[in-house]
Amino acid sequence: MASPAFSSRLLSAHLQGPGDGRFLLKLASGLLLALLGACGTRATTSVGGIVAVDDAGDTVHLARPASRVVSLSPATTELVFAIGAGDRLVGRTRWCDYPEAARAVADVGDGIPPNIESVLSRRPDLVLLYHSPQNADAAERFRAAGAAVLQLDFNHLEDVSRVARLLGPLVDHAGQGDSLAAAFDGDLARLRQPADSAAPTVLLLAWDAPPIAIGAGSFQSEILTLAGGRNAFADITAPSATVSIEAIAARDPSLILVSDSGVPALVRRPEWNVIRAVRERRFVHLATPAFGRPSPRAPALVRELRALLAGSRP
Amino acid sequence: MKTARWPWLFALALVALVAGLSLGATRIAPGAVWAGLIDRAAGAGPIIRELRLPRVLLGFLVGGSLAVSGAVLQALVRNPLADPYVLGISGGATLGAVIAISAGIASPWAVPFAAFAGAMGTLLLVYRLSLVAGRRLDSHVLLLAGVVVSAFAMALVTAILMLVDASRLQNAFRWMLGGLWSASWITVRMFAVYGVVPLGVLLLSGRSLDLLALGEEQARHLGADPERVKRVAYLATGFLTAVAVATSGAIGFVGLLVPHAIRRIWGPLHTALLPSVFLAGGGFLVLADALARCIAPPVELPVGVVTALIGVPLFALLLKRRLA
Repeated sequence: MASPAFSSRLLSAHLQGPGDGRFLLKLASGLLLALLGACGTRATTSVGGIVAVDDAGDTVHLARPASRVVSLSPATTELVFAIGAGDRLVGRTRWCDYPEAARAVADVGDGIPPNIESVLSRRPDLVLLYHSPQNADAAERFRAAGAAVLQLDFNHLEDVSRVARLLGPLVDHAGQGDSLAAAFDGDLARLRQPADSAAPTVLLLAWDAPPIAIGAGSFQSEILTLAGGRNAFADITAPSATVSIEAIAARDPSLILVSDSGVPALVRRPEWNVIRAVRERRFVHLATPAFGRPSPRAPALVRELRALLAGSRP
Repeated sequence: MKTARWPWLFALALVALVAGLSLGATRIAPGAVWAGLIDRAAGAGPIIRELRLPRVLLGFLVGGSLAVSGAVLQALVRNPLADPYVLGISGGATLGAVIAISAGIASPWAVPFAAFAGAMGTLLLVYRLSLVAGRRLDSHVLLLAGVVVSAFAMALVTAILMLVDASRLQNAFRWMLGGLWSASWITVRMFAVYGVVPLGVLLLSGRSLDLLALGEEQARHLGADPERVKRVAYLATGFLTAVAVATSGAIGFVGLLVPHAIRRIWGPLHTALLPSVFLAGGGFLVLADALARCIAPPVELPVGVVTALIGVPLFALLLKRRLA
């Protein structure tokens, strides 16, 4: 188990090393990286084991497929189960609630940043981390302890198939990873439709005090677009931002999407009633936790939301 | 320059109010702003009357109150670094608010009220701790008590945030940043109910504070009761800051910078200083908030960011000019 981590450390030492005499080595490893890059973020299986490049640009090298995986984000946990490798999970975050079988996996606490000791006590050979500056230190520590680390940007719908392809070979489910990715991409492609000028403008309201709207940078906005709606704050490129009630009123959305069930408490507040959609109680409820993360369930969610939008057309 | 104080300050307040009512995510012509203000049925009526007017009023009251509290506390503890939050009140208010947010209480009254309760709790605790031998109020002990009680409250806040649901956690953090987004007639009414009496008490305490500035012995000879003045002033600033934090979070820099700026321009006498800093602090916060709404639409910046970005360079300029 120590050998793959050792070689990966070796490789990264070459890549980061300042040595002048190592020019050739650097060039060679650079070429190797470029080669890997050319294959996309695809993991390659060779005689020497499995090699993959993660979203932090680090090369992950496994001598054999990982059999003890700790997944530190709900999205990767769901995906590992979706490609049929759930039995290899030995740890998950406390937020990983899907599928039901995930609850039976040992809970190691938070994912950003994780509790190092609690993760290592699961003796993982592969740790799936959300790619974030807050996790950089944890990644280093896991590697030092001999576990391979895969840092993933998992923020958009396209990441579902990309990560499924990348992850499959690492957990010996390359076929399932590829077929899930192909099915997912095909499903989304079929759901894509030409822009509709009559598409309803929808406010994705994440919170009301202060008012926080979901922007174009979030997969929730992608789901809305696929479902035939237009994000009222599509010009916000970030996943979310604090906006004023007046800014919402100025956008005059025809619907407001909330994730809680029932009429939100804000309708009782006079200042929120300046917004027409609040006055007319035009709320859409999408009470599924699948809306909280990019997931293979996204196409189903798109269909559900599409039906809800169609049902609320005047 | 000293004679021109009031026209300047009233002009600043007026400009701020007009700007606050005229600027926003929706472009509304000056005529329509006025129409919306006097006529509920006018096109811009709801935006002006339900959104901008309460926001401008709350901003003015909060900004003015923070500045007055800061000026009084700087005089009482004789420390130029004192601001309204040295009494530990923002820590207590944050604790109250975070408890309400983590418990998932959604009523519009609940979070400000919980914050107010938390602030009053810390105020009374700090006040009790600083009564040496139960009789004399000691400024140094008061500062220390404020620091430790605030630290304790913030430790509790952190512990709670680590233990609750992630989405609520994020929102509790945003609450802690402070801002006037919560402005509504409810928060304005809350301020009117709880804030007007302590504000009035402080605005009228200028003469006693001026006497106190001569030294406690001297003040006693001139007929003031220093102990009573200090107690009343501490409780009133605490109460007022509690209302300000409960309605708009801990907005920084207004309470620290505005009193210093006004003192540098027009001198330290409290009888005129306190009404001046009320007008200047109110006008400054309303202007900063109008900018916070307009710099990067539709995104709204936290107003504390804008008060610091404008306030600090202005203050540095003032410092430099005075030294030159």
